[in-house]
Amino acid sequence: MLDLVEPKDAVRSDVTRRAGLSACVAAGLALLALGVPAVFAPPVSAQDTGPIKIGLAITQTGPFSPPASYELRGYELAVDQINKSGGLLGRQLQIVKYDDQGNPATAVQLYQKLLTDDRVDLLLSPYQTDLVGAVAPVVNRAKKVMPSLAANVEHFEGKYPYLIQSMTQTSRYMAPIIDLAAAKGYKTIAILVQNTQFPQQLAQGIEEKAKEKGLTVVFKETYAPTTTDFSALVLKASEAKPDVIIGATYLADAQGIVRAAKSQNVQAKMFAFSIGPVEPEFYKGLGTAAETVFGTTLYFKTLKTKGNVEFVAAFREKYNLDPTYHAAVAYASMKVFGDVIKKVGSLDQDKIRAEFVKTAEETVVGHYELDQNGKQLGYGSYALQWLNGQQELVWPKADATTDPVLPHPGWK
Amino acid sequence: MLTTVATLVILGLIWGGVYLLMAEGLNLIYGVMKVVNLAHGDFIVFGGLLALTLFETFGVSPAVSFPIAGLLIFAFGALVQFGVIERIGLGRPDAELRTLLATFGLSYVVANTSFLLWGSQFQSIPFLQGSIQLGTIAIPEALLMCSAIAFAIAIVVHIWLTHTMLGKSVRAVAQSGLGAASCGLDIVWLRILAFALGSAMAGSAGALLIALIPFQTASGSELTVQAFTLIALGGLGNYGGAFLAAELLGLVEVFTQYLYGSNAASALIYLVFIGVLVCRPRGLLGRVGRV
Repeated sequence: MLDLVEPKDAVRSDVTRRAGLSACVAAGLALLALGVPAVFAPPVSAQDTGPIKIGLAITQTGPFSPPASYELRGYELAVDQINKSGGLLGRQLQIVKYDDQGNPATAVQLYQKLLTDDRVDLLLSPYQTDLVGAVAPVVNRAKKVMPSLAANVEHFEGKYPYLIQSMTQTSRYMAPIIDLAAAKGYKTIAILVQNTQFPQQLAQGIEEKAKEKGLTVVFKETYAPTTTDFSALVLKASEAKPDVIIGATYLADAQGIVRAAKSQNVQAKMFAFSIGPVEPEFYKGLGTAAETVFGTTLYFKTLKTKGNVEFVAAFREKYNLDPTYHAAVAYASMKVFGDVIKKVGSLDQDKIRAEFVKTAEETVVGHYELDQNGKQLGYGSYALQWLNGQQELVWPKADATTDPVLPHPGWK
Repeated sequence: MLTTVATLVILGLIWGGVYLLMAEGLNLIYGVMKVVNLAHGDFIVFGGLLALTLFETFGVSPAVSFPIAGLLIFAFGALVQFGVIERIGLGRPDAELRTLLATFGLSYVVANTSFLLWGSQFQSIPFLQGSIQLGTIAIPEALLMCSAIAFAIAIVVHIWLTHTMLGKSVRAVAQSGLGAASCGLDIVWLRILAFALGSAMAGSAGALLIALIPFQTASGSELTVQAFTLIALGGLGNYGGAFLAAELLGLVEVFTQYLYGSNAASALIYLVFIGVLVCRPRGLLGRVGRV
């Protein structure tokens, strides 16, 4: 049975017809198995035996589509695997998906459509904190559980009880970097922060972790997302003579800071950025200047987490690509969702929510565990370093593919 | 302290050159035709991404690929002027609005074509990432190159417009299309030439800028706004004014970033802009209807 269909009217009537057919077959089989006369069989409605519809809107076109399409691939692979192993509650899963084009207003309309028009049984989340935040009130009002791929924590602090955080908290992203710096005996940090929501929350996490590990923040400054010239900012940061320069950044600003640091020959023992080095374009754009720069990721393909080898192999086979952390968190999110539903034994959303917050499960991303509000407590983060043109996982030590190269050898 | 100030002055001046490079094509097209090309930033991005492909497939550096990108976008610009802008009623009273809408549409076409060809990730080319040491002052190579080329283009275009027959004809079209036509000039051809040249300048600027500033296909509109702010500050269509405005912006940006932080820098630039427009509504060196 086709499990991925665009919801068109023609397709829907076809599905209903097939659902009716399979209902008859299922009822017949049940009777045969139990050996009960047909008259005593409980009425089986098409609703309960047809496919379980899982709805989502995700960014399939526009500038934000590349990471979002990795998430969609992760979801689809997980649904495939669940269907191959017999589905959930004896029913197959069917994805109903739309394209929100990265626009929060469109996402809200589409989730309304999924709930009222398509009447989906389950919901998955869109890509990015902003879009999750936009659809949160709609989803919560409908009392549908939504495992969400959003790192910022404000949606998971009791306001929207039906939202479940299936991603590492923003404030934990840079924790392994601070940990590593402390392990090497570094004492001072300069933080450069893009003044948008996600990097601000990152910076807060960095400061808290630094305090905990006994490092001093000697310089902190924010800059606008449109900044292209970082030379003065970097010069100023270097005057504080920090051991570690950390950027709470995205890709373009991380590259801008590295360029400025290299051309001004700014020295520090360690250079690390949040989002940026995790993207292959970071090295493509900077070349050797990217060598020994640190970044973070929520997942790495060499991790020895439960089921990761199989996941990487299945992902490569289906898409001919290596999974990214976006693909992995989406895959794990759907897998945990499936396991929770199996434990509950029905699609009762309140029971599913109650089971979710009790769940402690090993996934390809790591240990999945939530607090009572649905905030992610289990997932952490990993430190990457660019070495000889490759990303290596260097910290925590137990998961490392190689040892970190420190201190930064200076710009060549 | 003295070194820091000297470094900041030099950095400000050469970043000014980079901003000038971004805005020159837009300035030429506005100066000659009173057309604000809203696809300008998207031309820059397209040129940059073209240079990226040339770099990745053939190992061609931006220093070689910038004329190639310029030529290709020259042809495209000529086509746009001939096929679109000439056909939407340039002589009519609402011509400015019409060209504004047409180039706005064009910006979507160019941006989405880039998106289909290159995707949406930020891209950049590792090129000239070192710096030249002047005593204790480090001058970034890529910045220096972009500025030098920007200044060269500014000088060449100025000489072309003021000292050659063709350039003078282009200025004649700018002053009065009707007058130029009645003197026997082929004004359609001259406008095509001007638009194509302006587009080419945007394209080749992109090929150089991508080594300095990472682009994504959606960056175009932001670049258009930056470029437009600069030429409005200098006096729309005025070359000397654009140069002054670029240097002013470069210095303001670098100094405020150092003294008051980067957030203040982005605000102060627009304060300067508003201040100039209040005192001199036509920009620093603006005049009416002149190139």
